[in-house]
Amino acid sequence: MAVTSKTLPTAVSTTAEPAPPKPPGRFRQALPQYAAISPFFILFAIFGAFPVLFSIWISFHSWDGIGEMKWVGLEQYSYLLADPKFWQSIGNTLIIWVLSTVPMLLLALVIANALHNATRFRSFYRIAYFIPNVTSIVAVTMVFGSIFSNNFGLLNAFLQSIGVTKIEWLTQPWGIKIAIATIVTWRWVGYNAIIFLAGLQAISNDVYEAAKVDGASPRQTFWRITVPLLRPVILFTAVTSTIGGLQIFTESQVLLGDTGGPGGSGMTIVSYLYESAFLDNQFGYGAAIGWALFILIVLFSIVNWRLIGGGDERTARRTARRVATGKENADAR
Amino acid sequence: MRAERTRNVISHVVLMFGVVLSIFPFYWMVVMASNTTPDIFSYPPKLVIGPHLFENMGKVLDNIDFFGSMMITLVVSLAVTVLVLFFDSLAAFAFAKYEFPGRDWLFGLLLATFMIPAQLSLVPQFVTLAEFGWIGSLKALIIPGAANAFGIFWMRQYARGAIPDELISAAKVDGAGFFRQYLTVGIPVLRPGLAFLGIFTFINVWNDYLWPLIVMTDPNKLPLQVALQQLNGIYGTDYSMVMAGALMSVIPLIGVFIIGGRHFIADIAAGAMKF
Amino acid sequence: MTVTRRKFLALGAGAAAAATGLTGCGSRSSLGGSDQLSMWTWVGSVNDDLIAQAEKAIPGYDDMRLAMTRIGTNYKTKVLTSLAGKSLVPDIVAINDDVATYFPNADQFHDLNELGAKDRESEFLAWKWKLGITADGKMMAYPMDTGPTALFYRTDMLQKAGIDTDPAAVAELAPTWDAYIELGKKLKAAVPGSAITDNITGVYLYALAQQSKRYMTEDGQYIGDQDHIREQFDLAIRVVKEGLSANAQQDTTDADAVVTNGKLVAYNAAVWWAQLGPKNAAPKTKGLWRVTAAPGGAGNRGGSFLAITKYCKNPEAAFAFISWLESAKNQAQAFLDPVLFPSTPASYTDERMTAPDPFFGGQRIVDVFGASAKKYPGAYFSPYDSIIGAPIAAELVNVETAGKSPDLAWADAQEQIERELTRAGAI
Repeated sequence: MAVTSKTLPTAVSTTAEPAPPKPPGRFRQALPQYAAISPFFILFAIFGAFPVLFSIWISFHSWDGIGEMKWVGLEQYSYLLADPKFWQSIGNTLIIWVLSTVPMLLLALVIANALHNATRFRSFYRIAYFIPNVTSIVAVTMVFGSIFSNNFGLLNAFLQSIGVTKIEWLTQPWGIKIAIATIVTWRWVGYNAIIFLAGLQAISNDVYEAAKVDGASPRQTFWRITVPLLRPVILFTAVTSTIGGLQIFTESQVLLGDTGGPGGSGMTIVSYLYESAFLDNQFGYGAAIGWALFILIVLFSIVNWRLIGGGDERTARRTARRVATGKENADAR
Repeated sequence: MRAERTRNVISHVVLMFGVVLSIFPFYWMVVMASNTTPDIFSYPPKLVIGPHLFENMGKVLDNIDFFGSMMITLVVSLAVTVLVLFFDSLAAFAFAKYEFPGRDWLFGLLLATFMIPAQLSLVPQFVTLAEFGWIGSLKALIIPGAANAFGIFWMRQYARGAIPDELISAAKVDGAGFFRQYLTVGIPVLRPGLAFLGIFTFINVWNDYLWPLIVMTDPNKLPLQVALQQLNGIYGTDYSMVMAGALMSVIPLIGVFIIGGRHFIADIAAGAMKF
Repeated sequence: MTVTRRKFLALGAGAAAAATGLTGCGSRSSLGGSDQLSMWTWVGSVNDDLIAQAEKAIPGYDDMRLAMTRIGTNYKTKVLTSLAGKSLVPDIVAINDDVATYFPNADQFHDLNELGAKDRESEFLAWKWKLGITADGKMMAYPMDTGPTALFYRTDMLQKAGIDTDPAAVAELAPTWDAYIELGKKLKAAVPGSAITDNITGVYLYALAQQSKRYMTEDGQYIGDQDHIREQFDLAIRVVKEGLSANAQQDTTDADAVVTNGKLVAYNAAVWWAQLGPKNAAPKTKGLWRVTAAPGGAGNRGGSFLAITKYCKNPEAAFAFISWLESAKNQAQAFLDPVLFPSTPASYTDERMTAPDPFFGGQRIVDVFGASAKKYPGAYFSPYDSIIGAPIAAELVNVETAGKSPDLAWADAQEQIERELTRAGAI
């Protein structure tokens, strides 16, 4: 997990002082630089590192956030492992993740390919596809809530008009998950398509020319050349979507309320964390769920590293960074 | 040549279909915000824009302090954006262009912080801020996010390629100190990168929901997203009004995006390619 | 160079101060300006005219004003989160009938006896007063309204079944739940589709509300698996099996719909249901409703409290305000709007309360609910009642909506309760 200094590229810099003097002097001279980078590290120490360590401590307690903390050792964790609601929330999250990520990346690939072929209106398309991504999830979810609504939803009205019986999207376990996955997909397809497009544009035209000379059909070209060459970009988007997908919360909360709808079918891991900590005031349990989520994300990251091709330090490093930006995008959810 | 043409046409057909799907929810939002609630509940549903938009918007203003909430969100978004731009670009400038003991190690540490999911520290961060007495105040939304690893990392990548070393050497010869070098050499060159990071940060903070939901405990001082959800929760049966609220909340951001959007999109893509 | 470095140090120091300095003071403050008493409550829990008076000046404290906030959703979460947040906590909070769940954190509130509550005790219903006192004798919460129960019924529907609609006659006809079920069957035979409860939990909760024991004993024994609970559990299932439930689940629009469309012809419910149920959902049935003594005896469900947080700027003024707001005279006013039933028996003879209610065909409903409130034996509410009650209600819903076997539902509920109580350290 730690990216050691050795593996980092040392910047090619010509601005270094000509002859480094004795160590104390070097530190003294670099004071402005230390000052420049200190705000991040100070803020991180207070609002990042300390809370993380503190949350281990909290998770060993039974605490409502107001009264005395009571030491319970590993009890929160043993409750967690036997808690059907917790496992249900993991199951829900993974199903929603698959239901959103797979169509999202496939559609993005199709759109990116079409964008690459289209020579006109490119910036119009790009803006049109990107707008969903900058719109707030709260507002978007409300709109989709009315599209999926059981009684007056647009989707059911459409189904009725073509003679299909209506589906209770927001009460059936699968309906709920499909509705949430649709919101996620809608919001992120354009984003991923534009990243794929950048990847496509980076592929040299010569490769395609060569394929043409060899008489490859467009479909062959796409699957045999484009997709393999896009692999790093696809992995970037896959990792980003994984980490974002594991942290879904707002869609479920706005669409279904705090408890994830009927039967808790839309309750995600983060919803359950929120419910436990801030609705039931079980701060210790909330902290424990936070660690479970962390472990899950690490597990998925390891799977992704393996997919790229084991042990290679360079690729591992690249993945670490992809994971990094993935997190930033996930935060935007 | 003809194959090329057909491919082009098919591409546009696919793209236009996608654009319709991408834009339709916005249209639908306007349709619902401009009709009455009984219209929305009726079958078959009205598919065209109605005449009640301003009436519904008026009801939103009657029921929640919409502009108050928008001001809070605007203040928080601007404050975070300004702080992030300053702290991140300053740190990135130092990381990208100067040698100093422990630099690579510190940068590695910074990258490692990426691995921590925000939700892990949700509970302890709340408790920490409670000890500070910050819960319910805007500080809780602004200070913890005032500098972030992503921005520093991104700006460093940008600065390394964009700032010529000669400029810094020349500034040094003129006797400029580090901060002066940052102001006179760094900032002008980094401006496009700052524009991207600024929009990116602004949009993210504006749309943030979970953290404000937890820390903004004062019901009279709710940020926009939370106020909007409140509107939905309490007046959920008056659908057209709720949709008018949703519409009003997304307009400013879409404006920002359309003005700065083109470069922004290119930068997002370029950013992804740099990894 | 030196200039910039100094600048930087100043900047660094500034950042450090921003991060730590501001925090040092650890400001633990209450919400609102120094001349304001901030108060949180939910919608419909106070009389607006009285609040408007206090917003000009607190009676007896002319330089203090009330700043009132009505919270629409997740009320309790917001109170608890602000207490955990330790800053911008309101001076006064309303607390629902789950007041005991706040007892473990009683140190967050003022002991009202120290502010003079003791002197007012005789004005209130004894069982209600007791509910706000912790095990170690601290008076944490001051009584607001109560929720005495009675039987609501539609005279027009009873007439169709050929039943005497006089309240005394109905009370005599259905003194017990068993007799009530028989009455329900008769009504259903006359008017198909009739129901005597909105859903399964309606019966369970109101039957439980008549018991003198609930889920735990005062010395902390769990008794929620004993007969007095199982009997109400089985009773609720029996009503459903007889087809007398409207199957309109809690907090759905259906629950209003069955009142509007006349399916719900009788209902054993608390006084506040008069407003939430028929008056809101079926204004056209004005004059058709009556109330009478409930089958199964007097009961109480709901009713709320006021508490003064330890962050309060001026506890004396806050107490002066709440004791003024909950005086017998002012509680009588709160009965008119928004139908909060007083916890002060002196109000029951106030002429504003004894006026005939046209919605109930000119009946003096205060007589029925006042009698119920005085007869109700009171019961012990433990801090864990909410976490015990939730699984039982959820399993009952499973029985009604999914046809789950009653024995399995009971066993599952008890298992879940045991897990929750173990985690909470209650058993």
